[in-house]
Amino acid sequence: MEKHLDRVMDEVVNKPGVFGCVFVNHQGLCLGAKGKASTESAGLIAAIAEQAAKLEPHSSAPIVTLETDNKTCIIQRAGTITGAIYKNRSS
Amino acid sequence: MVEEVKNNLQDLLSKVPGLYSVIITDRDGVHLLKVSTDKAPEHAMRPNFISTFGLAVDQGSKLGLGKTGTLICVYSQYQVIQMNKLPLIITFIASDSCNTGHILAIQKQLDPIVSSLALAVAES
Repeated sequence: MEKHLDRVMDEVVNKPGVFGCVFVNHQGLCLGAKGKASTESAGLIAAIAEQAAKLEPHSSAPIVTLETDNKTCIIQRAGTITGAIYKNRSS
Repeated sequence: MVEEVKNNLQDLLSKVPGLYSVIITDRDGVHLLKVSTDKAPEHAMRPNFISTFGLAVDQGSKLGLGKTGTLICVYSQYQVIQMNKLPLIITFIASDSCNTGHILAIQKQLDPIVSSLALAVAES
């Protein structure tokens, strides 16, 4: 079961500019992390996605982008799973 | 100081949806600090329930995986998350659908509070 998720995470991390990704279940527990991504942020990522979805309850799940000077974190919930992708901003 | 810490914990309750109670106790389950909403189940806050964590930690150490850090029990309506900060125990009581990972992430925020309380407990 994890093999499939592992393969997906490998694919994501190998995309240009991406340096890490985390996947989280509906309880905020980490399903997997690759690259320079911390498993400790799993709960917060799920919380951010959940809170953002409350802004527009009748729309589909929003994509949340957190931007710093040189990095971007993109968070989206799909069903019970929330994914976060960390990217370098220059690319 | 106690008021300040209580306010901090009260803030946590409002920040994490579904979190009903945060209790800091000693190893016997005696309450040192408690903040809770009116939805918190009274029976889960009793010392005789909280102190069973000590037994679980002892049993957990037999698994050979090192010191037991956190115990998560999910019931049909509630979840109880206990953290090993011996001589103290932190107990979180939340709804079954509450974000478990978020509660685990709070652990680091509580470290300074817990270490100052642990000092006070060790001295007495």
